[in-house]
Formats: sequence, C-alpha cells, structure tokens
Amino acid sequence: MENTNTNINIVAGPPKSVSQKLKDLGLYIGEHFLYLILVIVFIAPLVWMVLGSLREEKEIFANLYPFTIHTFLPIKWTINTYLDMFGISEVGIMYGLEFQKFMANSLFVSVCVVSCSLIFNTMGAYFFARLDFPFKNFLLIFVVATMLIPFQATIVPLYIVVKDLGMNNSFWGLIIPWFASPFVIFALAQFIKEIPKELDEAATIDGASLWGILWNVIIPNAIPGIITMALLEFQFIWNLFYWPLIVINSPDLQMIQVAIANQTTQTQIFWGRTFAGSTLASLPVIIVFLALQKWYIQGVATTGLKG
Amino acid sequence: MTTVPISSTDKETSFLARLWSPRNRYYFIAFLFIFPALINFSIFRYLPIFAAARSSLWQYSLLGGYRDFIGLQHYENMMIDPYFWKSMKVTALFVLMKVPIQVVLSLVFAILLQKETKTSAVVRSAIFTPVVTSVVVVSIIWAMMYHSQLGLINSMLSAFGIPRQIFLSDPDRALPAMTAMMVWKDLGFSMIIIMAGLKGIPTVYREAAIVDGAKPWQIMRHITLPLLKRVLMFVVVTQTIFSFQNFVPVYVMTKGGPMDATKVIVYYIYQFGFLFQDMGYASAMSIVTLLILLVVSMIQMRLFRTDVEY
Repeated sequence: MENTNTNINIVAGPPKSVSQKLKDLGLYIGEHFLYLILVIVFIAPLVWMVLGSLREEKEIFANLYPFTIHTFLPIKWTINTYLDMFGISEVGIMYGLEFQKFMANSLFVSVCVVSCSLIFNTMGAYFFARLDFPFKNFLLIFVVATMLIPFQATIVPLYIVVKDLGMNNSFWGLIIPWFASPFVIFALAQFIKEIPKELDEAATIDGASLWGILWNVIIPNAIPGIITMALLEFQFIWNLFYWPLIVINSPDLQMIQVAIANQTTQTQIFWGRTFAGSTLASLPVIIVFLALQKWYIQGVATTGLKG
Repeated sequence: MTTVPISSTDKETSFLARLWSPRNRYYFIAFLFIFPALINFSIFRYLPIFAAARSSLWQYSLLGGYRDFIGLQHYENMMIDPYFWKSMKVTALFVLMKVPIQVVLSLVFAILLQKETKTSAVVRSAIFTPVVTSVVVVSIIWAMMYHSQLGLINSMLSAFGIPRQIFLSDPDRALPAMTAMMVWKDLGFSMIIIMAGLKGIPTVYREAAIVDGAKPWQIMRHITLPLLKRVLMFVVVTQTIFSFQNFVPVYVMTKGGPMDATKVIVYYIYQFGFLFQDMGYASAMSIVTLLILLVVSMIQMRLFRTDVEY
C-alpha cells in the first residue's frame, strides 16, 4: 500500500492517475474482502463441527457467549469424544457406542457398489460408444429415460420391489439396486468416444475379441474418466440416507448416515458426540474430494452438462 | 412336422445356422455388454413405477399385505386431503424460494470466480465443499447452528448486539431457514456447471463486442446470457427436480413441524408408507408426484428452449 506513490513512474503502459489507482486498489480490496466473507460463510459450519469434536462438551457451551475466537477454537484439545464414539473409553462402553461398525458397513457397501458399478457401467458405456446393435437407439432411450425418474419420490415403490425380492434388511438390498447407473454410463460413453477409433481397429486386426478390446484398449485409455466416476459414485453411496433408513431394520447392518441421524433424534443429545459422528461421516469424502479436486470438478461438469 | 421329418430337420439346421451367423453372433456378444445394466434398470427403475401404480389401486400395507381392490379411491381421497394440499404448497414454496436464489447466486459467483488465479481457486473449493458433505451432516450441523439458545448463529448475532432469535421452531421462519441451508449446500454444484458453460462460450464473440465498444453489462446481457441459456435451463430443471424431492433436512431438523410448516410431499409420503402403514396411499401420492415432476420439467424445457447455437 505504501508503494502507491513511488510506483507511478515505474509502471509500464499509459500512466494512471492517482484517482484511477485508488479506484483499482479499492476494487482489489473489495474483491478480496468478498472472497474472505465467502470462504468464511461456506467453511465456518464445517470448521465449527470439526473443532467442536476436538474439545470437551462443556467447553462448547461455555465459550458460546460472548462470541470470541474460542467459540470455534478449543482451549484444551482432546480426542476423548472420538474414544467415546469408538467404544474405547469408559463412557463409550457405558453407552454401548461402536461407531466403527457403521463406518465399516458404509465402507463395505460403497466399495461393493463402486466396483460392481465400474464393471457394468464401463461395459454399458462401451456398448453405446462403440458397438453395433440393431435396436441401439431404442436401448439408448430406455436408458436415458431412467434419468427422468425422480429418485426420492420413487423410494417407496422401490422398497415394495426390493421387499418382494426378499432383499430388505440385508446388504443385498443396499448394493444390488445401484450396480448400474444411467449417469455413469452416459459420462463414460462420452469419455470412450474421445478415444481414437484406430486403436480399436488395430486391435481387431490383431484378432482381439470385443472383451479384449475393452480390457486392453478402452479401459487403459479411459482411466481418468473411470476414476472420476468412481469418486462420484463413492460419494453418492457413502452419503445415502433415505434408502438405508427404510431398507435396513437391524442396527448391526446400518450405514453411517442413518446412525448419526438416529443419534440426534434420541431424547438427550450429546453435542460433542454429534460433532464427532458428523465429522466421521463427512470427512472421508471431503478429504478425497480435496485431494482429487480437479478430476472431481471435471466429473461434475461433464455429467452435469452432458447427462 | 411329424409327417416330413427329414426335410424339417434340414430346414431347422439351416435356420439355426443362419441364426448363428457371424453377424448375429457379434450382436449377441454385443448385447451381453449392456445386458446387466438393462436388467438393473428394468427391475429397480421401471418396475417400481408399475408396482406403485398397482398398489395405489389396493388397500395395501407392509404388515397386512394386499387387502381389497378399491380402484381410484386413494386418488379421490388425495383430492380432498387438506394435508396433501398443504404439503404440496410447502414443497412448491420451498422450490420457488430455493431455485431462483440459488441460480442467481451461482451465476454471479461463477462470473466472479472464473479467473484462473490461486485465490479464486481457493474460494471455489470452499464453495464446493458443502456439495460433497452429506446432507445428513449438513442438516445436523445447521440444526445446531440454528439452535435458539446454544446455536452458533445466535452467538454471532449477539456480537452485533442482536437478541436471540428462534429459527426452526417458528412456523414462519422454519422453511426459509431450511431454504437458506440448502442454497448454501447446493450452490457449488450449480456454480461449477455454469462455470463449465461459461468456458464453452467462444471468446471471439466477447472480443468482437469489446472491439465494437460494448460495455461489460451489455456483453453480459446480449452475449453471455443468451449463449448460456441451455446451461441455465439444465441447472433450473435439475435443481427444481432435486429440490421438489427434499426429504433429509425435514427428517433430521423438523420432522415436518412446526405446525406442518416444513412437511414437504416426500416426507408426507414417507409418513404414510412407513409410519402410518398405508403403502397404497403412499404409492398413489408417489405416482402423482412423479407425474407432476414430469410435467414441470417438460414445461421448463419448453420455456427455456433456445434457438442460439454455437
């Protein structure tokens, strides 16, 4: 800021008047002030959650009024709440908490769905992007139309079907309905279409079968797309709530999102534990997202625009 | 067939040979690639709709199973059910508040943050983080933030000397409070899509306009917005459909209260199917919701139809 006066003669291009420079500086400060506000608004609730799980519960309430830095920042840091959640501490054993069970369930279901979905959706995408078939356009409409079916509004009917198949209250009921996705087929088909066709043709001349081409030519070239879709699918399943809520009755099979929601609907709510449970339920996906952000956003942009 | 056995087997083998021709063999193998997905969509996407249409014509509960056939009785009841209409009103109000605010804000932020600088990348990530956070966690944390005594928002307001406010237990404020939260959560998603749309506009148009001496807002009004119409249409349609099916925040934060002020249609369907044990009525309402959403999205696509191609 002190440089505003000394710089006048150094700046290349048409010299700017002092008032113009002040205006630029004002714009710059205004813009960055807005950025700061935005970051605070969008991050503060999550920071409050994570930091709230790393302190004693009394501390959360004691520092709420007046509003200071310690409303967020713990004075005494502790991981006791997490020990409670995992049933390692005395309090945790007393309340019979074993949150790791729900995390393991969610992880198991997510991994199963993502792997099944990658196999079957990649096959489907390859079919639409490359293969010849008499009724291909009809099949395409059949697949695209499923995207128009509203998901939450048809959960009750889906439950009727899954119950008739005898899959309710089991991992089957959580996994089987999601092993194929029209959105993923569509996005992957876009990726596969961008792979040069000459590669397939060369492989065909070498005597490769369709499976051979898919495995040796298409999949290695579509890895970025496949990883992006795996990320989106993982997030979708890990965050699933309504479906496990109605399809699973026994607490032992329950997924993490339903487990934390149940914890808050009990008569006595423990804020510390709720913060810790929420952190455990959301941080895995947030960390994966921050680490692989570029691919992630690309995935949303492609499925969003072309799906 | 039994009268001329020899010639018929001849014909059959040649028919089979034709059926198993190299071309048909190729088609058969190709079909195997899409077959699992087709099975999934038939059973878990299309069949539920038929199952719902069927059970909406019966007295049907999960415990009692099918009882009497009652025809369109459920649909007639729905027409005179004041709670059904109330929940439709609440749902429509939620969508009408949330979608316009969200789309306008995400358009503004997309334009503001499309620069390829480090700071704008950080702000973009911050805005996108709630999108990947589960809606359950978001609802739980915001319910705590809205808490009338112990909430973060009241603590912040107190720093400005504003007295404690009631949010979620006030019938007039509960739905707007929930709307604000969901705008906060979904904003990043629509922002990213609009940003991708902005990137897709060829720069020549903007450059030509600058050469012609157009002002920034003129470029916005006459070039960017018209070319962005298709992307905006997509965002409005998908966000309307998503928001119409809002369920989790209602389940976690308010259970439909206070005084049914937040009881949206999907929550009402859930109540009938799983709490009141009336799957038949719940199915009938699911079918009606499905039809409404199809009609709404068709109207919106018609309204936003654009002739501009680039």
